[in-house]
Amino acid sequence: MTETFYDVMRRQGITRRSFLKFCSLTAAALGLGPSFAPQIAHAMETKPRIPVLWLHGLECTCCSESFIRSAHPLAKDVILSMISLDYDDTIMAAAGHQAEAIVEETIQKYDGNFILACEGNPPLNQEGMSCIIAGKPYLEQLKKAAEHCKAIISWGSCASWGCVQAARPNPTQATPIHKVPGLAPKPIIKVPGCPPIAEVMTAVITYILTFERFPELDRQGRPKMFYSQRIHDKCYRRPHFDAGQFVESFDDEGARKGYCLYKVGCKGPTTYNACSTVRWNGGLSFPIQSGHPCFGCSEDGFWDKGSFYDRLTDIHGFGVEADADKIGGTAAAVVGAAAAAHAAVSAVKRARQKGGES
Amino acid sequence: MSTNATAAHKEEAVYVYQAPVRLWHWVNAIAIVALCVTGYFIGSPLPSVHGEASDSFLFGWIRYIHFSAAYILIVGFLLRVYWAFVGNHHARQIFIPRVWTAAFWKELGHEIMWYAMIAKQPMKYVGHNPLATLVMHIMFVWGIVFMIFTGLALYGEGAGMGSWQYNLFSSWLIPLFGQSQDVHSWHHLGMWVIICFAIIHIYAAVREDIMSRQSIISSMFSGWRTFRDDKPADD
Amino acid sequence: MTTMQTPNGFNLDTSGQRVVVDPVTRIEGHMRCEVNVDENNMIRNAVSTGTMWRGLEVILKGRDPRDAWAFTQRICGVCTGTHALTSVRAVEDALGIDIPENANSIRNIMQLSLQVHDHLVHFYHLHALDWVNPVNALKADPKATSELQQAVSPHHPMSSPGYFRDVQNRLKKFVESGQLGPFKNGYWTNPAYLLPPEADLMAVTHYLEALDFQKEIMTTRTIFGGKDTHPNWLVGGVPCAINIDGDLAAGAPINMDRLNYVSGVIDRAMAFVKNVYIPDIIAIGKFYKGWLYGGGLSGKSVLAYGDIPDRANDYSASNLMMPRGAVINGNLKEVHEVDLRDPEQIQEFVPHSWYSYPDEKKGLHPWDGITEPNYVLGPNAKGTSTNIAEIDEAAKYSWIKAPRWRGNAMEVGPLARYVVGYASGHEHITEQINRTLRALDVPVDALFSTLGRTAARALECEWAAEMQRYFMDKLIANIKAGDSSTANTEKFDPKTWPTEVKGVGFTEAPRGALAHWVRIKDTKIDNYQCVVPTTWNGSPRDNEGNIGAFEASLMNTYMERPEEPVEILRTLHSFDPCLACSTH
Ligand code: HEM
Ligand code: HEM
Ligand code: NFV
Ligand code: SF4
Ligand code: SF4
Ligand code: F3S
Ligand SMILES: [Mg+2]
Repeated sequence: MTETFYDVMRRQGITRRSFLKFCSLTAAALGLGPSFAPQIAHAMETKPRIPVLWLHGLECTCCSESFIRSAHPLAKDVILSMISLDYDDTIMAAAGHQAEAIVEETIQKYDGNFILACEGNPPLNQEGMSCIIAGKPYLEQLKKAAEHCKAIISWGSCASWGCVQAARPNPTQATPIHKVPGLAPKPIIKVPGCPPIAEVMTAVITYILTFERFPELDRQGRPKMFYSQRIHDKCYRRPHFDAGQFVESFDDEGARKGYCLYKVGCKGPTTYNACSTVRWNGGLSFPIQSGHPCFGCSEDGFWDKGSFYDRLTDIHGFGVEADADKIGGTAAAVVGAAAAAHAAVSAVKRARQKGGES
Repeated sequence: MSTNATAAHKEEAVYVYQAPVRLWHWVNAIAIVALCVTGYFIGSPLPSVHGEASDSFLFGWIRYIHFSAAYILIVGFLLRVYWAFVGNHHARQIFIPRVWTAAFWKELGHEIMWYAMIAKQPMKYVGHNPLATLVMHIMFVWGIVFMIFTGLALYGEGAGMGSWQYNLFSSWLIPLFGQSQDVHSWHHLGMWVIICFAIIHIYAAVREDIMSRQSIISSMFSGWRTFRDDKPADD
Repeated sequence: MTTMQTPNGFNLDTSGQRVVVDPVTRIEGHMRCEVNVDENNMIRNAVSTGTMWRGLEVILKGRDPRDAWAFTQRICGVCTGTHALTSVRAVEDALGIDIPENANSIRNIMQLSLQVHDHLVHFYHLHALDWVNPVNALKADPKATSELQQAVSPHHPMSSPGYFRDVQNRLKKFVESGQLGPFKNGYWTNPAYLLPPEADLMAVTHYLEALDFQKEIMTTRTIFGGKDTHPNWLVGGVPCAINIDGDLAAGAPINMDRLNYVSGVIDRAMAFVKNVYIPDIIAIGKFYKGWLYGGGLSGKSVLAYGDIPDRANDYSASNLMMPRGAVINGNLKEVHEVDLRDPEQIQEFVPHSWYSYPDEKKGLHPWDGITEPNYVLGPNAKGTSTNIAEIDEAAKYSWIKAPRWRGNAMEVGPLARYVVGYASGHEHITEQINRTLRALDVPVDALFSTLGRTAARALECEWAAEMQRYFMDKLIANIKAGDSSTANTEKFDPKTWPTEVKGVGFTEAPRGALAHWVRIKDTKIDNYQCVVPTTWNGSPRDNEGNIGAFEASLMNTYMERPEEPVEILRTLHSFDPCLACSTH
């Protein structure tokens, strides 16, 4: 008999009372009112643990590392009590054939009913063999699992956008999950960030289990509950931005007073993520709070916009790579000079004509 | 259509730029100057001010002026589009350049020769010459549309999901450009495109005023086009 | 020909049964291992293959060197930060930038907290299941487990019989649910597991405790770097400005509140390592001390660059608190000086790697390194190029390059550092090693083994936890003395840079000696090369046929059941392989 989340918790010696408390905490973590707690409780009392295959492509495994840092819920509780993490080569006991057999078994037993969690992405160059699993391109493992899963979670900027290995010139042709050619058309939830915030990752899972549906996604497939606002919109340094109080260089007076980091390149105004609201590591801090500008790690292609310390970022195209002021300022100077030259020639010509007429 | 010239002019004069066009032109010009100055400082802020954050709102004001000028520009542009329908035929000129006529291209060629100082004489126009029409159509009409669209997409980000600016503009424009930072960069580059053509525009206006066969600058104030010779107009 | 001797002294025999393990799990990244096992179940040939490559060195070309830390940090999220630190050091070396004393202390605390975290997580969550059998833990008597716990670690508060009974019940129901999750298809009936049920239960309990606790260890980096994993760094210092009692100190990245937080975390980390990790290593070690396989290169050739500069900007061996030097041919009496700038010392070879060089007989010093992918299989490989059944190690067979120190394949990592430290008479290392050998009642030679590697990692973790306190005190003393500067921005602006410079930066990453070499031309990166701990350990063969540390360590190991690779995993895991790092 498959057992429910509630059974598991009860077995662990957790009282009904603390179980309900857990449910209201979960409701709060998801930004829902206390009235949702009974709903969460009901869900957990009636559902078996959902199988998850967590596949790893080209990546740095930082998304996994972030995940285990979740403070609420604890990673331990997610793994032992909420999901059944049947395949995750970073922590699973089995290796080689015994590990690969699990993918097959899961497909047979839970066809169409397991979650495919993707960390990293597959390369298409080098015959796909710059990422090999069991002697074959990772691409094959990914496509097969996608074919049979219920839905895909794209963890992190690698799976969502391509991230660092897809930065120019992308030598392996690393490809984000939703752009993988021939991938079965399954719902994809993108949870971008390099890495994503741990509590955002666990909240996305908890939400799906609790409400038996996907969180509402924006046009680009990100859960609205965490990605609908920019860092800048809730940044605690925002009053300094409006006042015109900026850090001009690191460790200057402004830096010590917590001024806005806009002029040292902060991409908070163009970055959709929950860092300034949820913050990191149990709400302890986030990049800006530590004095470093946000460099937009949850945005598509953030690696290729020029230096992280520049406010104006690079535009690619026309064979140049420079910021708008450099391109535009040069063009304006050329136009100005051309107009001046044209004016001079016109004046000379006119003077000559006048001379000729008189 | 042609009536007596003002006392200052001996030549025949034509009423070309109706009041709404003239009003729009100068409101538009002032808004754009304000947008360029404030936009530049949004991209590269002034040196920091010190003291309590609550005592100062410098950057806030710069952005506020930018957004105010932006809405003036937008409303003005919408009214100008309306006027293109109901105004005189000159009011439509920069919106619909007559690119399907052979004459347009022939005259365009001549106008280029004139600017290249090869043609001895410019042609005579009651409205804009074809070169001016084309350049204004592309650079000003589409340039302003580009700035309005990208500007509203950026504005929608601050206004938030659910705002009309976000729904109508940010939601599709940001993914289209890649990400928000790209929209910033292209909006910023758009400013330089407009600056470049404003330089050319103003230079051409002054030059034509001096060298062509018709009044230019004063027409944008009075609405009347006056001529320096009696030959028939080419448009 | 099925037998041969490698120049570094290993007899390879490819005649026996070929056993393939792909993927090797419980490591970072993707790796394959093939061994030949003779009729007595002894491993007689070992081949290790790095099975991923992303091309960071290619991607870094033409970028702003001040950004390189963020790119290289994404080489790995497990040893997150160590590449970033190495990178800012390389760029500072190239541009001649000195960092403030406070920045040095803060960087050291961040780097040490990585050592603590990475070692702890490695042991409990990647390595423990090679020694600990969670299914066997179900048979344990909770009361006896409690007694065992109290005997090995009297100060650890969680030790009551009820506590262990609860964990056991949780585990029991988990197993009974039929949804075994990460423990599915494990090798739980393999006779290689030797712990009694009580020790298994204690270790499984700590697996869960450590999983809960590890997230706290790194929060020092959240304070100084804004987030973890992948905290923020800065060329010229650290981004976190200090403001203790000035105007608006509350809004400053570092103020009294933040310092107190860090201090508390350091205390708790020290206690956890002392009361849980170290006692577990001794307790488990006692049951396995007869399993002396896996020495490999550790008794022959080991390498360490050193790290943790006491004073800022002095990277000479005498100022480094982690040892530096090379030992070759097993001669512990002589510790060689290591020079990262010397083109003759460190070179990378590619005849067995999926890259091409204009002349593959020669090695290249990293300042002149080339990264040009070239995926091909040898003529004797079985299967196809996209479905490999058996690899051909006589040809190219790995995405890892083969780094060599003066032509020698070297082992790096905690054990290498402890061997170098022991050989050069480092006080704390000698004390720790002697204490551990005494506790386990084994001779010094026991160090050169899989278990020695695992034990050295724990000892280093203990030391690193304590050293955080040293630098925290130093930071506070320096602020007290009136110096609160954290960054030197004199040369932050690229306009101040010379047109052509080169530099090298190094750290001791959790897995071993790490260095980045950078060339900067016209303010952009002209060449960037990383030689990473797992590049050393996971190295394929070189042009002369020397085998690398992974391969060497698997030689002559007895396998209980060749189809169940417990012993292979055990020894490979003792290195804590990181494949994303190794190939980058
Ligand atoms: C000719 C017209 C305009 C010019 C020359 C102009 C120029 C600029 C420039 C240079 C920037 C700085 C971009 C950057 O580097 O990030 C900017 C930002 C912006 N502009 Fe405009 N703009 C124009 C029209 C508009 C319009 C019509 C709107 C619509 C509301 C608008 C809204 C904005 C917004 C929201 C920002 C971003 C402000 C911020 O990030 O704080 N702009 N503009
Ligand atoms: C000192 C500044 C300016 C002067 C003296 C000036 C002058 C003129 C003149 C004389 C004309 C009529 C040209 C003709 O009849 O062919 C004109 C038309 C026009 N100008 Fe300007 N201009 C100025 C600034 C601007 C600016 C900043 C813009 C916008 C970026 C602008 C946009 C236009 C447009 C769109 C027209 C066409 C009007 C229509 O036909 O509806 N002008 N300007
Ligand atoms: N090898 C390696 Fe690392 C470490 N420790 C890097 O330098 O793990 Ni990802
Ligand atoms: S998204 Fe970033 S953090 Fe996550 S695996 Fe990729 S590189 Fe690492
Ligand atoms: S620090 Fe960054 S996110 Fe915060 S207000 Fe300034 S620009 Fe916006
Ligand atoms: S860099 Fe990333 S972690 Fe948050 S503040 Fe910016 S999105
Ligand atoms: Mg390299």
